[in-house]
Amino acid sequence: MGFHSRGFRTALVAVLVAAGSMLASAADMLKIGVVAPQTGPGAESGRFQVQGAKLAADEINKAGGVLGRQIELVIEDDQTTNPGAVLAFSKLAGDKDIPAFIGSIRSTQVHAMAPDILKTGKPVMIGGTDPQLTHMGNSWLFRCRPNDTYSARVISDFGVNTLKLRKWAIVHSTDAFGTNGMKNLAEALKKQGIEPVLVQGYTNNSQDFTPVALAVKQSGADVMGTYMTFEPDQGIFAKQLRQLGVKTGWVGSPTTVTTTALKLAGPALYGSYAVVDFNRDSSPEAKAFAAKYEAAYKSAPDIFASWAYDAVHVLALAINNAKSTDPKAIREAILAVKGYKGAEGTYNFDQNGDGLHGYNIVKNDEGKIVFDKHIDFPD
Amino acid sequence: MGIALQLLFTGLGVGSIYALVALGFVLIYRATNVVNFAQGDFAMLGAFAMVVLCIDLGIPYGVGIAITIVAMAVIGALFNLGVYYPLRHRSFLPVIISTIGASILLENGVLAAYGPRPQSLPGMFETQGFSVGPVFFDSQYLLIVGVGILLFGLQYLFFEHTILGKKMQATSQDKEMASLLGIPVATMIMLTFVYSAMLGGIAGILVAPILFVSVSMGSSIALKAFAASIIGGFGDVRGAIVGGLALGVVETFGAAYISVPYKDAFAFLVLFFFLLVRPQGIFGEKISEKA
Amino acid sequence: MSGAPAPATVVATLAARRERRGWILFAIAAIATLALPLAVPLQAYHLNILMQASTYAIAVFGLTIVLGYAGQINLAQAAFFGIGAYSVALGTATYAMSFWVALAIGTAVAAVAGAALGLTSLRLGGHYLAMVTISFQTILSLVLANWVSFTRGPDGVTGIQRPSILGHPIADSSHYLVLCIVALYIVGYLVWRLGHSRLGRSMQAVRDNELAAGVVGVNAYATKVIAFTLSAVLGGFGGGLFAGGFAYVSPDQFSFNESVVFLTMALLGGVRSPFGAALGTALLILLPESLRFLKAVYLAVYGCAVILIMVFMPEGIWGWFSALKRRLRPVQPVVNDAAPPLPLTSRTAQAGDAVLLEVKTLSKHFGGLKAVDQVSFTVRANTVHALIGPNGSGKTTLLNVLSGIYVPTGGEMIFEHRPITRLKPHERAANGIGRTFQNIRLFTAMSVIDNVIVGAQRHGNEVEGGDAGRRDLALAALGFVGLASRALDSVQGLSYGHQRLVEIARALAGNPRMLLLDEPGAGLNHHEKQELVGLLKRLRGHGLTIFIIDHDMNLVEQLADHITVLNFGRRIADGAPAEVLRHPEVIKAYLGEEAHRAVA
Repeated sequence: MGFHSRGFRTALVAVLVAAGSMLASAADMLKIGVVAPQTGPGAESGRFQVQGAKLAADEINKAGGVLGRQIELVIEDDQTTNPGAVLAFSKLAGDKDIPAFIGSIRSTQVHAMAPDILKTGKPVMIGGTDPQLTHMGNSWLFRCRPNDTYSARVISDFGVNTLKLRKWAIVHSTDAFGTNGMKNLAEALKKQGIEPVLVQGYTNNSQDFTPVALAVKQSGADVMGTYMTFEPDQGIFAKQLRQLGVKTGWVGSPTTVTTTALKLAGPALYGSYAVVDFNRDSSPEAKAFAAKYEAAYKSAPDIFASWAYDAVHVLALAINNAKSTDPKAIREAILAVKGYKGAEGTYNFDQNGDGLHGYNIVKNDEGKIVFDKHIDFPD
Repeated sequence: MGIALQLLFTGLGVGSIYALVALGFVLIYRATNVVNFAQGDFAMLGAFAMVVLCIDLGIPYGVGIAITIVAMAVIGALFNLGVYYPLRHRSFLPVIISTIGASILLENGVLAAYGPRPQSLPGMFETQGFSVGPVFFDSQYLLIVGVGILLFGLQYLFFEHTILGKKMQATSQDKEMASLLGIPVATMIMLTFVYSAMLGGIAGILVAPILFVSVSMGSSIALKAFAASIIGGFGDVRGAIVGGLALGVVETFGAAYISVPYKDAFAFLVLFFFLLVRPQGIFGEKISEKA
Repeated sequence: MSGAPAPATVVATLAARRERRGWILFAIAAIATLALPLAVPLQAYHLNILMQASTYAIAVFGLTIVLGYAGQINLAQAAFFGIGAYSVALGTATYAMSFWVALAIGTAVAAVAGAALGLTSLRLGGHYLAMVTISFQTILSLVLANWVSFTRGPDGVTGIQRPSILGHPIADSSHYLVLCIVALYIVGYLVWRLGHSRLGRSMQAVRDNELAAGVVGVNAYATKVIAFTLSAVLGGFGGGLFAGGFAYVSPDQFSFNESVVFLTMALLGGVRSPFGAALGTALLILLPESLRFLKAVYLAVYGCAVILIMVFMPEGIWGWFSALKRRLRPVQPVVNDAAPPLPLTSRTAQAGDAVLLEVKTLSKHFGGLKAVDQVSFTVRANTVHALIGPNGSGKTTLLNVLSGIYVPTGGEMIFEHRPITRLKPHERAANGIGRTFQNIRLFTAMSVIDNVIVGAQRHGNEVEGGDAGRRDLALAALGFVGLASRALDSVQGLSYGHQRLVEIARALAGNPRMLLLDEPGAGLNHHEKQELVGLLKRLRGHGLTIFIIDHDMNLVEQLADHITVLNFGRRIADGAPAEVLRHPEVIKAYLGEEAHRAVA
């Protein structure tokens, strides 16, 4: 074999010497796998995710890396589909040098990857907010966003205790996000002793919301909790609701205050509240992250970027604490992370693998998003 | 009662959107015997063109509309040349598949060029509408109904009272006969595509303030519009209008009184019903193949 | 048939050789792919990608049947795939069934759904079918997402179990992959066999020309429903295996977009062959991996590819290569022209004037237009009966009523003492009525001999020796019209005159009692016409009854024993040629009022 000939070896040594320490350190990179959508409808959110993760990796590398090694992100495209996510993860999992991964922000994709993650047996940081993900016996999933039980608890806590409103309507999309949100919110309200006067689902991309708006109007609700996935749906609903003269209070899921939602709905959403996991005014850490992100990419960060940024930091912290890249050691170290202040909030990992336990409440004040308060739960 | 009236108004408004798009289907079907599965994407393109022109470039609304309609005419011509013309001598199946391909191409082309963020386009009126008693009349829906009536009227005049219109009609009825009469069939089909694309573009401009502007806005309307044209009687202009309006009303009432999440199913259940009981639709004639 | 002469043997050997070569290639491919997961320790990634490709390919085989063979569109293959997947998912995860039972249920439910959909919409076909399948797809997606108590809603189903064989659980992915690949090869083989079977030929005949298929005895509607059901079955089966492979399913995996993906896979590879389906599936699953650089544009490229395939490669990659192969190595003509005798020729003309067909006050109206108005006549056995009349007099309409394409408005038809008025075209073919068309209707994508075999395989045409016997019969029919040497050619390569003869051979292979010929002389030159006259005379000599429409009076006079004349849908004369052609009404109809006066 030519590879073992003396000439080849001499040449190889020469190349190594010429490349110097650069090549040596490249071999010593600490690889982190990232599953992100780069094609398909989620391509743009995937760009945010990768940029957020890269920002964190660069910071860590500048500060000396992890266990003295530089972090290298290995990115695989999930095509914004479930089978795509499975392929992307299993491709990354085939690389034995990768000790941990950044997974998806979409819950169904995490579900799809979960069997493979269990088989691989290495930590995966996820952003999907379906509470089930960390409660189904898969001990390798670690969530860097508050799960939907918290969004529901914060919505109900804020509506009932701060706004002092008790006649609730729940409007939700019938996809996974909306249905779970509705279930959790109904449960959280039940704990407050409230039975919603209306629970109304709708299918994504409905072109008309008159029947839903009329149902809200007839129910006589004075506050509405919503889990709506797509901004156009939310915009059409908000407009038609206000046209029909319904003036209920509104506490919505994070999609209620995205830039697009504000642009589409305009005045129809003025005065509404929403829970968000990332808001730049919620903490000094969030502010700093936003500034750094803007400096690096010339655009404002959003939740797709912030959780990935935190995920890489938490992972680096855990590996440093574990002083090892052994998956089990990393797992123990992640679960031991307490009081780490990230862009999304303060991370106190519980035994399920949930890092965050609260949400920010923001208000749509004449089209501007204003930070109202942060509600955290001890459990 | 107030609720029923409100639902009726909304249903007719939604229905007139379906009718506008269905009309484009019917015209192309009559000219070529082919269903254009990209008809809804013409609406999407028209709406995006308006966003680019009027929002991003700040061109006045009226000028934007004019440019958009001209651009749609060009797109219709290109569509004919690229998607239909090379396949004109083949059976309908390759053409259908080709238009499905065109639909994927258009949607994802716009997605790649403009990103997935939905856009908004302000309506043509300052006010959103007005209330009469318990019923709110959305000004944009009123505009759609008005423009719809106007277009149907103009179209009637065009096809029945101009030479060009009559030539196009002759082509759609019998291509061989038309070409024997010296009518340039290829040109007439080209004009049909141009007109359908313009019609789709106008539908897009009209619905954009209501549905917002997103890549998938066209295809979901188009499916309903297609169902509407079958219910009305395929290939019949009256059928497209009546089918569209009926579907809009059925869907809105079904959502309000039966189930909101299954709203999309009502349209298709009505369609199944018609296919079983009266496949030729409300206005259609009995289907038979010539030997 | 004992001592079958050379051409039959040549055709048979060629077919056998092709089959043997196919078998060897197939076996090599099968062993190679089966050995791969067992011999090489594959990474999870490769296992997953192969698992996806093999289960998808099974569903795409379904499209080979429905779209490739039968020419019917199915935009709901992902829905059938989803039915199978959800059956296995819910069966094993919720109801703790065995994987095999759940898979069988899934396949059965898909079959029932497919049959129901096919039965309701395949009479209409075309655009309606496209719309109905899209509707079904949409409704299924809605149900999967919204019927939370049963389907677990949009969260999807986790904890799907894999099967065990003889008590050995197939938990390991590489073993499960072997199972999928075995299924892939078995299904692929069956689909390929189907293409060369009686049913497969019927499907292709329906695809190429539904009207002609009916007239030569194919029950087009039943054939389409069977094709659609089989397609749904394969969708369900593939979906069931998919669910076992990935252990998680959710509604968004079975959306309309996925149906379009399945369709594109079939089209890209080549929709008329299972090899094309497998190729297309493999390409489209692997392609996104290599097309990463296209980023967000890649779906747009996908759409563009669909158009380009339709325009430049309508038969897909596999079809393109097959065509190339045919061009490089053209079919050898079958050398020996001594075809086996046509069974018909063992009959001889019987004297006597038994009534074969009786037409009583037959009418066919289109709205206000009376295309055929109360026409009566009798066709006697072993005669050539001509139907003439000026353009637009209703001749072809009458022929269409006789062959069952049009349902008459009034009147009745009795064939061999049995009423046939209500029978469909394929049922009339089964009763022994064959026909040809004025504008030739052959099965254009099939070879000459396959065209004729479709005629031979009509219901009620008992042929010994199954497919081999039918092939001999077809060759005999081709020999009778003098085209045995072109048996293996494509019909599109034949001259107009030869295509006409193939159409006649196709009708003859069905051993008809009566042959309806719609202007057989149209478009033929003088020489070809004389050959046609000779052929028809020979047929009459063997006792075949011929009912012929033609404009060419010379041809009619040479052949006809009896003439019926139509004008404006009404019978104006009927009788022996000599007296009919002198009939003043007939002269008036043909030459106009003035000519009649001039003669008078």
